[in-house]
Amino acid sequence: METEKPARRRDTDDRRREGIASPVEGFNARAKNAVADAQLHDSIELFTNKSVAGRNAVLNALPEAPELRELAYHIKQETMANLDRYLGQMADAVEARGGNVFFAEDGEDVVRYIGDLARRRGAKVLAKSKSMATEEIELNRRLEEDYADLDLEIVETDLGEWIAQLAGDTPSHIVGPILHMNRRRITEVLSETAGEKLPPDVEALGSFARERLREKFLAADIGITGANFGVAETGTIATVTNEGNGRLVTSVPPVHVVVMGIEKLVPRFADLSVFVRLLARSGTGQKLTVYTNFVTGPRGPGEIDGAEEFHLILMDNGRSELLGTEFEEALYCIRCGACLNVCPVYRQTGGHAYGSTYSGPIGAVITPLLKGGKEAKDLPHPSSLCGACWEACPVGIPLHDLLLKLRNRQVDEGLAGKAQEIAFKGFEKGMSSPTLYNIGSKAARLAQKPAQKDGSIRPMPGPLGAWTNTRDLPPLAPKSFRELWKEGI
Amino acid sequence: MADRAEFLQKVRHRTQRGRYKPTHAPDVAWTPKDEPQYSPSVEDPPARFIEELEALGGHGVRVGNLEEARDHIVSLVRERDAKLLLRWDVEELEELGVDGPLEEAHVEVAVWRGLEDFREVAGRADIGLSTAAWAIAETGTLVLEGGPGMGRSVTLLPPTYVAVVLVEKILRTVPEAIEKYAQGGADGLPANVCFHTGPSRSGDIEMSLFVGMHGPGDVHVILVG
Repeated sequence: METEKPARRRDTDDRRREGIASPVEGFNARAKNAVADAQLHDSIELFTNKSVAGRNAVLNALPEAPELRELAYHIKQETMANLDRYLGQMADAVEARGGNVFFAEDGEDVVRYIGDLARRRGAKVLAKSKSMATEEIELNRRLEEDYADLDLEIVETDLGEWIAQLAGDTPSHIVGPILHMNRRRITEVLSETAGEKLPPDVEALGSFARERLREKFLAADIGITGANFGVAETGTIATVTNEGNGRLVTSVPPVHVVVMGIEKLVPRFADLSVFVRLLARSGTGQKLTVYTNFVTGPRGPGEIDGAEEFHLILMDNGRSELLGTEFEEALYCIRCGACLNVCPVYRQTGGHAYGSTYSGPIGAVITPLLKGGKEAKDLPHPSSLCGACWEACPVGIPLHDLLLKLRNRQVDEGLAGKAQEIAFKGFEKGMSSPTLYNIGSKAARLAQKPAQKDGSIRPMPGPLGAWTNTRDLPPLAPKSFRELWKEGI
Repeated sequence: MADRAEFLQKVRHRTQRGRYKPTHAPDVAWTPKDEPQYSPSVEDPPARFIEELEALGGHGVRVGNLEEARDHIVSLVRERDAKLLLRWDVEELEELGVDGPLEEAHVEVAVWRGLEDFREVAGRADIGLSTAAWAIAETGTLVLEGGPGMGRSVTLLPPTYVAVVLVEKILRTVPEAIEKYAQGGADGLPANVCFHTGPSRSGDIEMSLFVGMHGPGDVHVILVG
């Protein structure tokens, strides 16, 4: 699968090297810094609180939401079980409409395809709409490096992504890429680009960005997007944006390239009815985003705008490894970001602590799966397994369960320390048997006594130290709920 | 470079490993109620459409006939002090007859046909004018199809965008609108369909609303009939 391993070089401050091909290490150190950063904390709190409130309000107003969620899960399940057939169908449909289809094993393949295309077209300006799949493969950096002779100007056009790009930064949230930056910092970045001091207000900053990016939309030789959904039956690519950049880069430049992870497929156009209703509600608390755009192949006869050349890149990059395994459900993700917003860990650390393109619960699950467990062995651990992510997930991915399975896999592969091995195996056993659970929790109350202080558990000595050094462990209640229940509470 | 057949063969092989035991997904917080409930029905689609669009910061108005729609557009163009209006080349807008009155008012009208450099015209236009294939009441959405005469840029590049929609084109819900395109397979599907819902916006700077990010920030829908 992996044709070549990239050199293990890592400049710790270069966040542009956080794609799937780069190693990710040191969650704890980064998280410690993040937690100590009061400004970051405020920014994350603002974003996640607003997002959660918006999502709850708009989903509560959709009585059929539970059925949609169940339906979404089953559609994805069916898709994955027949993924080869649906991929073939999608490719046929795109080709029948005069589009080009390319199957990419990994990021290297994608970079080469787009680089060669840019060379053939004599392209200079590439305008991109927000795409996590291209972040994952560090497309911008690699195109600039590997095709340096073309002198390409690659421009992110989502406001947040553009600001991140200008600052040499990466997105820290799937939906809110620069939620970690406050207005003061954003004003600095844009002022430097403008070559003059801009006032720190949203109107001025937004207007400046609109003006600058409009030039890029009009000058772009190639537009690049991801795909929120790809429809096997019709070859349609669905993208959702609020700013309109997604629709612009598919309408104005003469060439449109889609980089789509193979798991983004849905079988039928009618399935979009389910997913479109869930995605915007879960991601941004909207019933629909401003632009929900469906592109099927290049422009038709008699059309003046829309791309004359359409390229669909179906990218694996480790995804198919999950098929038919106990981790397959991780492929159902529609990247709405709802699990990040509710995660007690993400809410403390933000996205960059994860050191990887995908953060939060879904990032903690798919990063080790796509990278290989060794490369991201920290990530299954920053989680309290509270299940809030599962509850928030609009397709019902049991994220907490997958995290536990990943920890178990580390034990099986000998990646976990001895104490963790005993603890995780014990946890799994204990949780699955009521009798063992009772015995275990009684024993735990006795065992915690020496460590208890001021109502919380202080760092434990010995092999458990690594665990409690980074966690505030609440003491167990004197009597468990089960015991109280037996006694008639 | 991956060969299609090899690529699909690999995927097929992996889907058939069969070690995977699906979790029975849906859970507590979302568990369906005993009696499934459905979104409250849309009582008065045109009124609901306008209500939803206005809630998003767009402007909706219902007029009795095409003459009133034309007058509305002419006065809007005057209010915006527009120099150039760019419109779709479709029969409904010919019937509407805005070109004459606007030219009399010294407003240039460009029509989306045979354009040498569409980027220059669309980029310069102050107002874009189109119709819509459908509108969706529950979300205040316009369903825009691409096709000859129906440029995507008309609805995107000018800062003010106006759509004229006959009331009988208003659907109640999003699933109804998707259903319109789910029947015919790929053949019947235009190269572009866009569900356009309110003014372009961004919340990327501290979650503060900025209207008119890349698309039009000033959106007007005139319902006729």
